[in-house]
Amino acid sequence: MSKSPKKTHLYEFHKQTAKMTEFVGFEMPIWYKGIIPEHMAVRNSVGVFDITHMGRALITGAKSEAFLNYVTTNDVAALTPLSAHYSNMCNEQGGIKDDFVLSRLEEEKFLIVYNAANRSKDYEWLVKNSKPFSVKVEDVSDSIAMFAVQGPNAEKTLQKIADLDLSKIERFKCGWTRLEDVESFLSRTGYTGEDGFEIFVWNSPIENPTNAVKVWKAIMETGKEFGIETCGLGARDTLRLEAGMCLYGNDIDETTTPLEAGLSFVVKLKKDAFIGKDALTKHKAEGIKRKRVGLTMLEKGIPRPGHDVWKNNERIGHITSGTFSPILERGIAMAYISIQHATEGNRVAIKIRDKLSEAQVVKFPFYDPAKYGHGRQK
Amino acid sequence: MRVLDYEIPDTLCYSREHEWVRIEGKEAVVGITDYAQKQLHEIVYVEVQKVGANIEQFQAMGTVESVKSVSDIFAPVSGTITKVNEELAESPEILNQDPYGKGWLARINLKDFKNDLKKLLTAQQYADYIKEMEK
Repeated sequence: MSKSPKKTHLYEFHKQTAKMTEFVGFEMPIWYKGIIPEHMAVRNSVGVFDITHMGRALITGAKSEAFLNYVTTNDVAALTPLSAHYSNMCNEQGGIKDDFVLSRLEEEKFLIVYNAANRSKDYEWLVKNSKPFSVKVEDVSDSIAMFAVQGPNAEKTLQKIADLDLSKIERFKCGWTRLEDVESFLSRTGYTGEDGFEIFVWNSPIENPTNAVKVWKAIMETGKEFGIETCGLGARDTLRLEAGMCLYGNDIDETTTPLEAGLSFVVKLKKDAFIGKDALTKHKAEGIKRKRVGLTMLEKGIPRPGHDVWKNNERIGHITSGTFSPILERGIAMAYISIQHATEGNRVAIKIRDKLSEAQVVKFPFYDPAKYGHGRQK
Repeated sequence: MRVLDYEIPDTLCYSREHEWVRIEGKEAVVGITDYAQKQLHEIVYVEVQKVGANIEQFQAMGTVESVKSVSDIFAPVSGTITKVNEELAESPEILNQDPYGKGWLARINLKDFKNDLKKLLTAQQYADYIKEMEK
């Protein structure tokens, strides 16, 4: 029997203003005004997303650093309180169980935010592996609302309702603040490539949406002067793809390793034992055979997941994500291709329906980082 | 006529796959309906078979893509493509702006329209069909 989809605190608002879709068990907005105008608002000014569907867990206890260093690939000891990093969890074979952002709230308290599709899988994996450590793993997904405010005007938008000086929060740093007088935690992180914040409206159970709705409405109001758009899952996907960020289930899963996915910067093989370390060490020594690359179309046509990539009459890989890029106004994709072809500038062909169309291997992000993204020249 | 949020010109014939047909002598001009373009939203790519291609009624004659989705265009009539709307390659958004006018897809030299017509809907029938779907 299929369960009826879950709703977020903002469901009533979304239902009235957005085209809705079911996404991993949640009834979520796919677009309000349209994917392209929402996408452009985030690149050029500011947009707000309801991302309450993401999974969230708190890990507390004296051994939480040791536990997280064992179950994740990045160096948790390097995380100071009120900072965050991107990381992976792997299985024993080095395949990616999930990718996520981990924030250190206090010396012995962490917040992990993982993919909605992996909510129960990750929670169970964390609980199972926490046994030898005296830590508490608590699923707080249903008691905290989560929004993302993204774009070059995100700080200005939020500052007007925050009692914390946001200019002091650097990228991948976090802080506690009251937003419109509601207790919130925020991190300067995101899934768009732009500057921006992810907001956690604390003590905000789904059954009592008052605080979450209050913060959302306040953001919409203060963002008005910057032309803020409410953004759905459609723009979230095109934004992350343009930025070169992975979508779990498409670009990474348990059959891909962080090394193949180009995520070796979050795999610290020099740290003590962690799940997947032996396999990844061997994998690195042997060398990877395929790699995740960006492909930009040189012809018309839009690459989609599952399309094959060809070179000299040989199939060299396949597309895992593909879309129309609103910034480049052409098709872009992520693909896994044989390592010998994964050189920037290499021309390949993508089989779209029955036709081979020319594309080029490019580095991430797809856009010009001097013009767009968090590192843009002001 | 206008049904719900959708324009359905009285003088055209329709398919259940949301294509329209306008007869001009021995040829048919075909396109996708207002309902189709509103469902697809933000059309970013259109591809139609080349001039000279022989097509059968209800077989795929092209593809239309929005940012997120890919949909087949099914030929509402049988015949030979005599012209395709080249403008759509550069400006696919015309399909959203003017689906019954500037957003036409192709002209088809009809093979057996009498027969094709039996399987098409009148504007009223199409309107009822849309109402049923939107219930």
